[in-house]
Amino acid sequence: MIHSIVEYGIPLIILAMVTGGFAFLRRRDRGPMALTGLFLIIAFGIGLLAFHSGYDFVEFGILRIDGFSSMLLSFFAIALLLVLMLAKDEEEPGLFNMLFCLAASGVFFVVLSYSLLSLMMAIELISAATALMVLNGGKKRIEPAVKLFVISTVAISVFVFAVVMIMPYDLSFAIAPLQMNTGLVGSSLIMLAAVLFVVALAVEAGLFPFNIWMADVYQGAQGHVTALLSGVNKKVAFIAILYVFFVVFAGYTKVLSPLFELIAILTMFFGNLVAMVQKDVKRMLAYSSISQAGYILIGIAVGTTLGLDASLFQIIAHTFMTIGAFGIVMWLGSRGINTVDDYKGLFQRNGFMGVAFAILLLSMAGVPPLMGFVGKFLLFSSAIGSGLVALAVIGIINSFISIYYYGKVIVSMADRTEKGSLHPSIGVIAVTLICLLVVLVVGLYPQPLISILSKSVLSVF
Amino acid sequence: MIFFPAIILVLFLGILSVLLLDKRFSRPAATLFSAIALAIIIIMFVYYLSGRTANYSETVQYISAFGISLQFFANGFSVPLSLLAGIVGLAAIIGGNPLQEKGKVANSLVLLFEATAIGLFASGNLFLFFIFWDIGVIAAFFMISYLGDGNHLNSAKIYLLYSLLASALLLFGILMIYFYTPIRSFSISIIEANAQMIPLGVQEVIFVSLLIAFMIKMPVFPFHSWMQSAYSDASTQGSMLIAGLLSKFGAYGILLLFLMLPVARTYAPYILIIAIASAFYAALNGIRKDDLKRMAAFTSMAESAVILTGIAAFSIFGLDGAVYGMLAFGLGIALLFLSIGSIEFMFGSKHMSILNGVVKEAASSAYSFLFGVFAATGVPITAAFIADLLIFIGADKSFGVLGLIPLFSIIIVGAYLYYAINKSFFDTESSVEIVRYETGHWNPSYALLIFSILALGIVPSLILGFR
Repeated sequence: MIHSIVEYGIPLIILAMVTGGFAFLRRRDRGPMALTGLFLIIAFGIGLLAFHSGYDFVEFGILRIDGFSSMLLSFFAIALLLVLMLAKDEEEPGLFNMLFCLAASGVFFVVLSYSLLSLMMAIELISAATALMVLNGGKKRIEPAVKLFVISTVAISVFVFAVVMIMPYDLSFAIAPLQMNTGLVGSSLIMLAAVLFVVALAVEAGLFPFNIWMADVYQGAQGHVTALLSGVNKKVAFIAILYVFFVVFAGYTKVLSPLFELIAILTMFFGNLVAMVQKDVKRMLAYSSISQAGYILIGIAVGTTLGLDASLFQIIAHTFMTIGAFGIVMWLGSRGINTVDDYKGLFQRNGFMGVAFAILLLSMAGVPPLMGFVGKFLLFSSAIGSGLVALAVIGIINSFISIYYYGKVIVSMADRTEKGSLHPSIGVIAVTLICLLVVLVVGLYPQPLISILSKSVLSVF
Repeated sequence: MIFFPAIILVLFLGILSVLLLDKRFSRPAATLFSAIALAIIIIMFVYYLSGRTANYSETVQYISAFGISLQFFANGFSVPLSLLAGIVGLAAIIGGNPLQEKGKVANSLVLLFEATAIGLFASGNLFLFFIFWDIGVIAAFFMISYLGDGNHLNSAKIYLLYSLLASALLLFGILMIYFYTPIRSFSISIIEANAQMIPLGVQEVIFVSLLIAFMIKMPVFPFHSWMQSAYSDASTQGSMLIAGLLSKFGAYGILLLFLMLPVARTYAPYILIIAIASAFYAALNGIRKDDLKRMAAFTSMAESAVILTGIAAFSIFGLDGAVYGMLAFGLGIALLFLSIGSIEFMFGSKHMSILNGVVKEAASSAYSFLFGVFAATGVPITAAFIADLLIFIGADKSFGVLGLIPLFSIIIVGAYLYYAINKSFFDTESSVEIVRYETGHWNPSYALLIFSILALGIVPSLILGFR
């Protein structure tokens, strides 16, 4: 019974979501969003069921359902639901909903993919849909939309090229360890393919130096689209990195580790140093999100089970922090509050939202007992535990640098100037509350999530 | 017996009730819960003093992946220091915020800070130590940034940068200890037993990073720049807690460092040199201050240097003296800041050049200030006298005459504090105008602090009985 629910339910729910998005497409109708939300909740439930039952099987040769993918299915369903709640005030909700369904199905396909080809298609689906979402808000958003579209198309081309390159070594496109063609082992071609994979996925994940586009797009897009970009798209790219480098290139992890280390260091420094000089809060958060990608990469560079646990933990933590933060920034942006100076007196203007924003920022900065701290703690300790002390030190230095700009915003909010009070919409309050609860509760008692993660990591890697 | 979790739980219930109840009830509720916490602390104190074994640990499993558990120690350090936290916290709540401006936030921050201070002093493993450390840092940050006055935003920025630099170094040091101790553990007692097996070079790295982290918090000479502005711009409650408790976080950390790492003891002479430099730097800087809060800030810094001398001596006398010093100086400096805050509240200024004849209108505050100065300079029958005595006996035994040098800084500190008293408080020829005639509830706080200082000064065996 449960097996068939999982077996048929997962493809069906994806199908239903896409169909629903198209079938009820009326540009200004908000109704279909509720339907999408319902589908996401069902997807969450099925993922939970699959994780709990511990299934491990492959469907149609492209969908793999195991502990890891079902855990991520549930997690991304929640993340997408949060974004959907933020999008309530979208100008053209019907259109947004249709694109959102496409992107969501792409997300689920990446998470569940068992084939490099379906992985590629799914990533393309996500980025095309997101580019249109960025465009959705009117004329002034053409530039970021085109930027996003062009850069992700180039990334996908590189990805295809890399897939083609490993063809001689691999007997299938499956996401499984490379089947070595013995005569070609150690050829530099395979390293070239690996590097191309890094390049292609680095664009989506926002890793240095392929992240120049990010700040413009994040700033230019509407708040909830930015939340989607930073909270979901980027994290999906990291899941793809895990699949490609820890399953397909499983034999090469040691060789690739220095490359990831280097990229992690550069990404952290780039994100943090550029964020320091930003005046616009949204843009600052965009760069901070880049630096968080660098932290996540630490665990991938370490490559041990603990490292992967830590990376996944940080992925989940940052998703909640970033969606909550961009939600608040979106709400304030709609009131014309954009720069750090505009944030003055937020504690007085709306105490709850001010405190919530401060807690989310502190969590990003890695202050205990919040979720972001636990993630960083796991990352740095995995690095020191594997002897990469220098990497951990650089991570800690960076997390110190980041205090400067997060602190700047919090200090500005603490200013006591008399201004009128502000009231957010229900959607923003709900999202903020959920993100805040997750950040606080998991931060105070991380053990359950850590054990779920290590269980799911062991099921794949 | 689960004293420590109970105390922390009570304080968190207090925060909850302060936040949920109406604004009018915020001080009574906070006072009630803080008093209950203090009562539990005193019961615990009596319980361990009456001959029961004091080195007791309470363990609750927390994160099993790293072997991290909620582990609290009741021993000769944690019990007296929690007493300090309980007294200062209660005093701050009763008297520190006369008008109850932003009462909810202010009182819940004090309760939060009190809880973290007790948790930190009692924590049996370094992970917990770190968590409490950072919560305390953030709570104090809001006392400066949101509740402070003057140039508080800038002070808060500087404070945050310094504090989180300390946190980063602390985290690094703790992780290094964890991974380089043969038996991987955060537990302080296990680390104490196994730390000599950490390679010498690694020990030195750990020692330096943790030392800098703790020196920032104490604060000690080259890392003190955040101190003046933070102490003087924080709210009265904030200055009381930051000077009375937060700076003791650093002192307690250095004490732990000396207990844990064998290499620390070989560096003791250098620590003494830092302490001497810091003591005289603070004492000489205090002289030229017009702002009473800044003067008190430098007094606190000089006291920190004295405590550091005691720890560096690392003998029975030195360590006892250091713990006694944290307790005594913590109470004394809280009393000083409370009376300065009250005076500023009544007269609208905290500057020596403006204040005149304070004793006429605000006798209780003036005499409390005087008593705070006694407590800071170690006049006999105050607790600080016992602390100074123990520390300098210890220092003399370990370092010879050199160890006595920081003693002279206290004389300088005394000189300028007594000058301030003469000029602003008891010279009644002309007196400054009162700005606000309402009186706060500070008299009970003065009484509580003065009583504790006298009790510890007259009956030192209360604390020394522990070891």
